Amino acid sequence: MDLRRGVEIVKQIDKLLFALFVAIVTVRSFYIPPAMSFMNPNLAKIFVWHFPCPMIAVSLLVLGAWFGYKHLQTRDLKWDIRSEAANELSYIFSLLTMATGILFSKVQWNAWWQWDPRQTSFLLVLLIYAAYFVLRTAFSDRERRAANSAAFGLAALLPALFLIFVFPRLPQVLSFHPTDSIMKGQIKGEYAIVVTGVMICMTVISVWIYRLRVRAGLMNLESENYDGNQLSDPSGHPTPSGVVRPVRLSSEN
Amino acid sequence: MNSNWSREIRAVLRKEAQSELRTKNGLVTAGLFGLCSIITIAVATFNARITGDLAAGLIWVAILFASVIAIPRTFLVEEEQGTADLLRLFARPHAVYWGKALFNAAQTCVLSTLIVALFVLFTNSAVGVPGILVITILGGSFAMAGAVTLAGALVARANNRAVIAGAISVPLLLPVLGMGVGAMRVVFAGQMLGADPNEFLTGFVNSGWMSAVGLSCYAVATMAIGPWIYAAVWKS
Repeated sequence: MDLRRGVEIVKQIDKLLFALFVAIVTVRSFYIPPAMSFMNPNLAKIFVWHFPCPMIAVSLLVLGAWFGYKHLQTRDLKWDIRSEAANELSYIFSLLTMATGILFSKVQWNAWWQWDPRQTSFLLVLLIYAAYFVLRTAFSDRERRAANSAAFGLAALLPALFLIFVFPRLPQVLSFHPTDSIMKGQIKGEYAIVVTGVMICMTVISVWIYRLRVRAGLMNLESENYDGNQLSDPSGHPTPSGVVRPVRLSSEN
Repeated sequence: MNSNWSREIRAVLRKEAQSELRTKNGLVTAGLFGLCSIITIAVATFNARITGDLAAGLIWVAILFASVIAIPRTFLVEEEQGTADLLRLFARPHAVYWGKALFNAAQTCVLSTLIVALFVLFTNSAVGVPGILVITILGGSFAMAGAVTLAGALVARANNRAVIAGAISVPLLLPVLGMGVGAMRVVFAGQMLGADPNEFLTGFVNSGWMSAVGLSCYAVATMAIGPWIYAAVWKS
């Protein structure tokens, strides 16, 4: 009993420490030196929040496809729940990428939307994954929904990776968006520290949300299985779900 | 490929061709859609000069939507007529996918050629680099057939399947559209290509060739991955 209490206290301390870390990183992100190479150096600080979003979104996208693959291999619905959770979170981070990108675009290029290839390709990736969620709604049978959406997730990975990594780097495509900030070591000093901090915060938060989402999905699956078991007799045949009593419809008789 | 495989694929291909020739439903519907699109474009741009970029975009929109109407039908019709289970009994999933995808590729090829020919006829446009046009039509047809056949197979048992088929096919085809437009804009650059060859023009034409080759590579990728994914959902 004491051991359990000790573990609970450690968990609480962990959460408090993490909340403190998030607070420090957030405050620090507002006080980093202005990015002088941009049109509006103060507002360009949003870069530290924009940069980690697509990285986490793409990682979750690949993870979602991998879980889909595992589902197709094993037909275990738990993999489908993990795949759906990863794709949902990826979609949220993609939306955050778009939102911060649009603000950054306004700051740097003086237009909310200016059809930059990188900006446009991410919009197309959002469309592809919107189709994934549309497909999920089209099946009422859980197993079929899981198999078909896993297959779509795998098929959609090819165009998504093409749009994210290949299309903006094609020689005939002119983009204002930098594509090699990390490789050329352009993120350094104070910016490197804060970007790393934000990346750690976002990764931990995304893992936490992902685990909660998967746990909720698994509980939902268990409750569906329990209902299914209650509705069938030992031979597997469905039994009536309740007693039907005759009801008088009019008072004439 | 061993003879059993090729026999199964040919059997599915022949079955699709015979079904289509019997009713001509897919080709006529998609062809009519393509014709209406091109006439609408011609009327809207009457007396206006269509640039290569605009022509490429308009042609691909017409090809895309005509194909999205025709291609998923191969799987949807099987479910509607109740013949899908019979197919599951007699053929392997890879053979079914390739048979249907090859038929769809041929159908899209005919449709694309028709749409491009009608566009040239009605808008008086000139084809600058025929080689790029041929590779773009072939590569584009196979890429679209590969992706949309798979989308059709995925939604075949879904509720509201005809609408969903279009909704999930178009996003999968966005890279095809990107590369297709990149190639077609060089094909329809018209007068510009008649000018003296210089560094800019050479780079421009090369970008068209690159897009056409990229389209062909995408076609190979979709045709290779498609059967594997289809086999995974074949009996679900």
